[in-house]
Amino acid sequence: MALASTATAPQGGQGTPGTGASPEPASPGRFAGLLRRLLSFQGLLVGGAVVIVGYLALVPLGYLIHDTFLNSTGTGVSFGAFSRAYGGNSQAGSMMLNSLGFALGSAALALVLGTVLAYIQVRTDTPFKGLFFAASLVPLIVPGILYATSWIFLGDPSSGVINTLIFQPLFGTAPVNIFSVWGMIWVQGLHLAPVTFLLMVAAFRAMDPSLEESAAMSGARRLTVLRRITVPLLRPAMISASLLMFVQSLESFEVPGLLGLQNGIYVFTSRIYFVLRAYPIDYGAAGALAIGLLVIAAAGVLLSGWLQRSSRNFQTVTGKAFRPRPVDLGRARPWVGAGVIVYFLVTVVLPVAVLVYASLLKYYAAPSRKTLSSMSLENYSEVLHMPLAFTALKNSLIVGIGAATAVMLLTSIVSWVVLRTRAPGRRVLDLLAFTPIVIPGLVLGLALSFVYLRMPLPIYGTLLILLVSYCTRYLPYGMRYSSAAMAQMSPELEESAAVSGASWFQTFRRVLLPLMSSGILAGWVYILVVSFRELSSTILLYSPGKEVLSVLIWEQFENGQFTTLAALGVCMVLILVLLVSIAYRLGARFGLQGDSSN
Amino acid sequence: MRTRNFTFSVSGLLAATLVAGCGGMPGQAGAGSDEVYGRLRGLAGTEQRAQAEELAGKEGKTLSLYTSMTADIATPIAEAFEKEYGIRVSVFRGNSETVLQRTLQEQEAGRPGADVIETNFAEMAILAGKGHLADYNGSALDKVEPAGKFDHWTATRFNVFQPAWNTTKIKPGDEPRSWEDLALPKYRGKITMEISDSDWYENVTKYWLDHGKSQAEVDTLWKGIAANSKVAKGHTTMMQFLTAGQTSMEAMNYTYITARAAKDGAPVTHLPASGVSTVPAFARPNGVGMIKGAQHPAAAWLFYDWLLTGGQQTLVDLGLTPSTKVPGDKSVAGLTLVPFDVEGLTKDDTVWDKKYDALLRGADTVGR
Repeated sequence: MALASTATAPQGGQGTPGTGASPEPASPGRFAGLLRRLLSFQGLLVGGAVVIVGYLALVPLGYLIHDTFLNSTGTGVSFGAFSRAYGGNSQAGSMMLNSLGFALGSAALALVLGTVLAYIQVRTDTPFKGLFFAASLVPLIVPGILYATSWIFLGDPSSGVINTLIFQPLFGTAPVNIFSVWGMIWVQGLHLAPVTFLLMVAAFRAMDPSLEESAAMSGARRLTVLRRITVPLLRPAMISASLLMFVQSLESFEVPGLLGLQNGIYVFTSRIYFVLRAYPIDYGAAGALAIGLLVIAAAGVLLSGWLQRSSRNFQTVTGKAFRPRPVDLGRARPWVGAGVIVYFLVTVVLPVAVLVYASLLKYYAAPSRKTLSSMSLENYSEVLHMPLAFTALKNSLIVGIGAATAVMLLTSIVSWVVLRTRAPGRRVLDLLAFTPIVIPGLVLGLALSFVYLRMPLPIYGTLLILLVSYCTRYLPYGMRYSSAAMAQMSPELEESAAVSGASWFQTFRRVLLPLMSSGILAGWVYILVVSFRELSSTILLYSPGKEVLSVLIWEQFENGQFTTLAALGVCMVLILVLLVSIAYRLGARFGLQGDSSN
Repeated sequence: MRTRNFTFSVSGLLAATLVAGCGGMPGQAGAGSDEVYGRLRGLAGTEQRAQAEELAGKEGKTLSLYTSMTADIATPIAEAFEKEYGIRVSVFRGNSETVLQRTLQEQEAGRPGADVIETNFAEMAILAGKGHLADYNGSALDKVEPAGKFDHWTATRFNVFQPAWNTTKIKPGDEPRSWEDLALPKYRGKITMEISDSDWYENVTKYWLDHGKSQAEVDTLWKGIAANSKVAKGHTTMMQFLTAGQTSMEAMNYTYITARAAKDGAPVTHLPASGVSTVPAFARPNGVGMIKGAQHPAAAWLFYDWLLTGGQQTLVDLGLTPSTKVPGDKSVAGLTLVPFDVEGLTKDDTVWDKKYDALLRGADTVGR
């Protein structure tokens, strides 16, 4: 079987990753041997994972392509959809520039913030480490619509709290305008920084500091070590993170919808939103826009593959034992501590404070004596008395944990195929697993209901269809987390396991998975958290009695109950912070290196 | 060697697509629904209800409702119906497009999930046009005004279009008295328009043209309004920012949304200090329809019937505008109601969507 031939393991032997297809001549015996290998446990596991991932990605992609290229009579191929989407008075040029500027800016901001935070968290002896970790994730947990709304209340040019309470009295100007491209980049970048943070924490933990130490002993200064050793070693993770955030910013709609429209800043997704709202829906035009996104994303995947071409250089997890030692910050420690606190004040405390404040009111109004005196806990009691609150929480947990676990298991196997074998089509597989990221949620929902309404399996109308939907939607994220972790692993570990007589599965379970656990856990946490928010496909696929939390949030939002919604948001933040902490505690038990022990 | 490897990796993917493409489960549509609908239609008005109740009992006393009513309305409606007939209602809520998409998907696959639909007029018209709705001929129709009766479905309530403003930002005397007023220079930068309100745009345009304005005058007015405006998404989101004083005025919001915020104590209204608005109020119908092939057709018939009779009072209690005359209904007090242009919107909806979209995208370049 093709998938079993590895790039670096030349040795033979049954059941090792390096088996390869032996060069025997074509004969019935050869076919039987192939069949035997295919039907082996390894073959079934790897083949199964590849098939499932391919299937998950192909269903919505096929639906999208079918609708985009089929002409109106349904008989031939047509490119009319593209001229409808990009031609005429669609202002496609400025839309693309806005999209790219917004996505690049947000990705860059998130990359810098997330990496610096991860470095401080893992590699220094900074104070407040415990607080640090949970708080880093809060911007990710707060539903996008609440996070953006909080920032509007903070950063509105005329009435935002930052302008009226800080800049106006102190400097006599109101420079902050959240309704600009810079405002959009700010909010999106902060919202995404936890994605980088999770990826980079995993990467830093799996990094052997001996190279840095050697450099330091050879007389290199701290900055030189950082520039010449640390950053280059982290390239796979940084590339993965940039790619993810760039594409995620391209396809996100909450921030452009709430902040961009005000001043006419249109991006790809606002066009898709508009096209999908009209009736009859022009699926072709929506598909053409999504394919535009897909081309950009595919270019990103290929570029990142090319940047990681000399993968051996990044493999820092080798047969040698290591123990990352934290950098002694020395005199800088209080300053770093202060910086950390300022960062959290701005990204976590401010927006969450707006939420807590709003959750205590009947309707949102700027702080005044009148509003302060009317505060109550009514919204919280309303949340607790929502008949569906506990069902929805339970369902969200089931689907979220299910999707996170399934995706991370699948992608850890598939990333092994992509990075460790020479299987033909492995790059296509990598690309394919990335495509769901650009499929608009509504199109994904339509594709899934189309398929499962016609399947004699009890999937449509149950929680399973949400599970399938989330697995599809978060496949690209799982893939990036897994392959970033896999790229750091040297194949010599697998080779030694094989030499010691371990089967492929034993090697995978006992060697690779534990060593990748940091990255896998990070991906797992990410998927769990974002699946709590997923709405665009959920809203089409959920069934009465099977509601999830995001549906409840949407309902409160539609009801116009922003303050109740804020209360629900605060509860969600508390629950997810708790869950994430438990996940990391458990992770520590199963061999994940904790930072506290360093 | 390579070919073989390639064959195997590709065939895996092919198998996957095959699984996706095949299927074709036999339809699970309630085959007896046509018969039940027909039987009820054939009865005299007085016997229909009793017969439907009896049949609903045999169906298992459950009903599946797909609706775009918000949860704070759908829940009390479902409870009131359950109380009346003892039929358990399971409610699927989504925005009107979602309700439409889901229903179409299920109908086309021959697996109807809904028994009865309650949503906006445009989506109801599409479902009726595609032949997915069964006819109702009960006595409840007698109370509905002609403007509320459509082929295969009936209006249950109206969403009324009016401007809305924050009373601390727009002082008495400064309120708009007509749609034309929205183009006045004094409102520059104070107005918010919603990105999907093309039906409002169509109605105002038609009203202006019907009342003696030339196309050029209409275009100038719209340019003026767009120049005064910023764009936002979602009527409830807009109301959120209006109550907070973040924005001053909304070109159009549904009166029930404004009234609901005002009831909570927010400083917003759609009526001038005098209590009488002279801005022509378009009332957009929302309606109810029974699904062909439904699992619980008799329960669907009962819900349809109830929503036009006893249910109307519940709608009024919730602050909505009913489609029949209900004592104690104050939802249109002080408004100047004018007909809603159903025909123009059913004919070529996307034309107006595109025109409105172009107007809004021009909004940022004009006057800034």
